Amino acid sequence: MSAIDITIVNQGGQLARVAGLLDRLGAEHHLAPEVLADMQVALDEVLTNITDYAYTDQAEHEIHIRLQVLDNVLEAVIEDDGAPFNPLAIPAPDVSTPLRERRVGGVGIHFVRSLMDEVAYDRAGERNRLVLRKRFKT
Amino acid sequence: MDLREEKVGGVTVVEVKGRIDSTTAPALGARLTASLVAPKVRVLLDLSRLEYISSAGFRILLLAAKRADEAGSRLVLCGVSGKVRQLFDLGGFLDLFTIVGSRDEGIAAAG
Repeated sequence: MSAIDITIVNQGGQLARVAGLLDRLGAEHHLAPEVLADMQVALDEVLTNITDYAYTDQAEHEIHIRLQVLDNVLEAVIEDDGAPFNPLAIPAPDVSTPLRERRVGGVGIHFVRSLMDEVAYDRAGERNRLVLRKRFKT
Repeated sequence: MDLREEKVGGVTVVEVKGRIDSTTAPALGARLTASLVAPKVRVLLDLSRLEYISSAGFRILLLAAKRADEAGSRLVLCGVSGKVRQLFDLGGFLDLFTIVGSRDEGIAAAG
């Protein structure tokens, strides 16, 4: 198995399932713990961003995630029908702000961009599509 | 994520094993809030068995540090290494916490 398709809805308590399936894919492909950890963090950031901020209505929305291992690349493709959001357009956070004034917002996206080798975004129709790629050595 | 708590002298040591992400961060938050509820307490958070931490976890740690600060308590972190240290560094969090190497140093620093 080199690809897993997962559909979650924008409600709490769904991300553990995604993390579990990514673990399983990683184990089957003997991925290094650091590679897996980087993707787990990136996915957690992206998916919490979508569930917390992408929707302005109270309706249930589906988020589609495809996890796959290609040639030396662990890839996640995330699609949602929320508000347009391009994480690549967000400026890097000021990490020198004192503790009391500090907001964690922005750090998550910074993690995604720093930990991944490639991040691509496109808006197709009413959908956001984000591709995360982490290279690894075999 | 597994949390193990023990008292060493007057210091509450909380060891975190596994992952701190958006799923597990609330449980860590609840534990730290409980440990920091009294004023002037000393809490050592041992992260040596932590695999990774996402921004949801950092949000909890920053809140705990702020709460400790306001209550005249001490929150010290130890065992920040490898992947976890890289994440602290990337987020600019290394300078925002009191971080020591080992648990023994932490107990001395917190006490």
